[in-house]
Amino acid sequence: MNKNILVYIEITDNKIENVTGEIISYLHQNFNDCNINGLLLTDNSTYNSVKNDLKKLNIDKLYVIKNDNFNRFETCIFASQIADFIENNQVDIFLAGATQNGRDLAPRVASKLNIGLTADCTELNIDENAKLLATRPTYGGKMMAAIYSKTRPDFATVRPGAFKIERMQTKETEIVEINSNLCNLNQSVNIITTMNKALNDRFDSADIIIAGGLGLQTKDNFDLIYKFSQLIDAAPAASRGAVERGWAPKSIQIGQTGKSVSPKIYIAFGISGAMQHLVGISNSNKIIAVNTDINAPIMQSADMAVIADAAGVLNSLLDKYS
Amino acid sequence: MTFSIVVCIKQVPDTNDIRWTENNTIQRDGLDSIINPYDIGAIQFALDIKKILKDTKIFAVTMGPEQAKDILKEALAMGCDFGCLLSDKKFSGADTLATAYTLSQFIKTKIPDFKLVICGQQAVDGDTAQTPSSMAEKLDLPQITNVVALKTITDNSSVWIRETDRLKQEIEITHPALIASSNPDVEIIPDIAGYISAQNKDIKVYDSASFDCDVERIGLKGSPTQVKRAFRYLISRDSKLIDKSTPESAADLIKHEIEQIRNI
Repeated sequence: MNKNILVYIEITDNKIENVTGEIISYLHQNFNDCNINGLLLTDNSTYNSVKNDLKKLNIDKLYVIKNDNFNRFETCIFASQIADFIENNQVDIFLAGATQNGRDLAPRVASKLNIGLTADCTELNIDENAKLLATRPTYGGKMMAAIYSKTRPDFATVRPGAFKIERMQTKETEIVEINSNLCNLNQSVNIITTMNKALNDRFDSADIIIAGGLGLQTKDNFDLIYKFSQLIDAAPAASRGAVERGWAPKSIQIGQTGKSVSPKIYIAFGISGAMQHLVGISNSNKIIAVNTDINAPIMQSADMAVIADAAGVLNSLLDKYS
Repeated sequence: MTFSIVVCIKQVPDTNDIRWTENNTIQRDGLDSIINPYDIGAIQFALDIKKILKDTKIFAVTMGPEQAKDILKEALAMGCDFGCLLSDKKFSGADTLATAYTLSQFIKTKIPDFKLVICGQQAVDGDTAQTPSSMAEKLDLPQITNVVALKTITDNSSVWIRETDRLKQEIEITHPALIASSNPDVEIIPDIAGYISAQNKDIKVYDSASFDCDVERIGLKGSPTQVKRAFRYLISRDSKLIDKSTPESAADLIKHEIEQIRNI
């Protein structure tokens, strides 16, 4: 196959985004006969602060486009630099993380190059025509679509959390530094203030996620999810239904666009398992579902499908642990 | 001077109400069609601006079949001034690139003196969130996506609040510009006066010949991305069904599972 794959390396607040490492790790496992290269746009001081982490990314070649003005992300400038790079280099597949900034940037690059782009993918394959086949949830997460593009390079954004980072042997990365001669800043956009929010990576680091859904029936019962999570130091989570009822904030909803999890154990209390939810939890090592409804879709998707009253089991667990 | 705003809206199936056929395809008959919820947030921004800049005219623009007139009528009842339906068999099957091209060409030709293009961040059927940025590029506009609020506006520039998982920003942008609203939960309920005045407002229908566009770049023909297959997602795990008569015994089982990973 031997394709040249280019991965956009995204940095927020002097840290490489997890999704960048996830994409590279996935490529090593599934596209190991390809050249895996990285593209970074940065200023000198940010570059120095992430230099060591960049070496651990395990890529063949890292292209660093440097400019003092790249200290913060600005769509128009980044898009034109990236499009320029792609036009002048041999790139067969270009991938970026489907973070909000990634999804702000990627369509602008694709539009500039007039190439196809597949958003927020959860699986990547090569089809019989040696083209990228990118699979993504669509129709509000109720259907999966496998999409290819007639244009070159193939281009997709990848959903954060969709792939797992597996440890691998480190290889030497060749670094190619390019000085960008860009001096015309985009005068039309003036970022007055930027406030970095505390990184909500609770889902990324949790080995256990305790999730609740409509089967819990009341907000009081849903509060048991919080109590139990706290007791065993797990991350609480909610289904879309529970969020819509106002039992939980949107920030802990699983399965909405852009949120996938991969804990060691995922325990779902009273969740029926809409497709987007099942996609969101599919990377979990073990799924335990507690539900009285034996026909709930999650019962077929769980490793252990426990037929029991969700609130009753939670109360009993609280007793046992306190 | 008149401040012209183009609001791009899309008619979408109500994805909360999707049913499946026996062949695992989506049952399209009888599916309710609604204005994409994110686009209502975009309309709200335009209406907010109209309160501040009195001489504002709002053009609601959509691409779709004849049936999409329904959402334009609704947009007019909500307070938009003109409805534009881009409708042609040649437009159908468009992916985000072809859609962005078509809408941009329409705006360039028919509403060239616009000050703002406002879109919903994404449509709930496709969930790609690609059309706004793609359009901004085609129209050579600065853009702000993930916008949650308008702070101030004058004829020449406006200040918006952008919010993502990672950051909150206050950004000033010079007009003309493109804004994408990420507010999905806005509700605008038109009153009777709104519906009455909507009856006197104009919905114009445009086909591919009525504005400057290259037929090679529209619809299915102009769409690089193609769906190879669509399928229903099923996790296949070796599911073990456990029927526990009491919550206590179920709790014991879960406790055992938790201890297994926590003791390693």
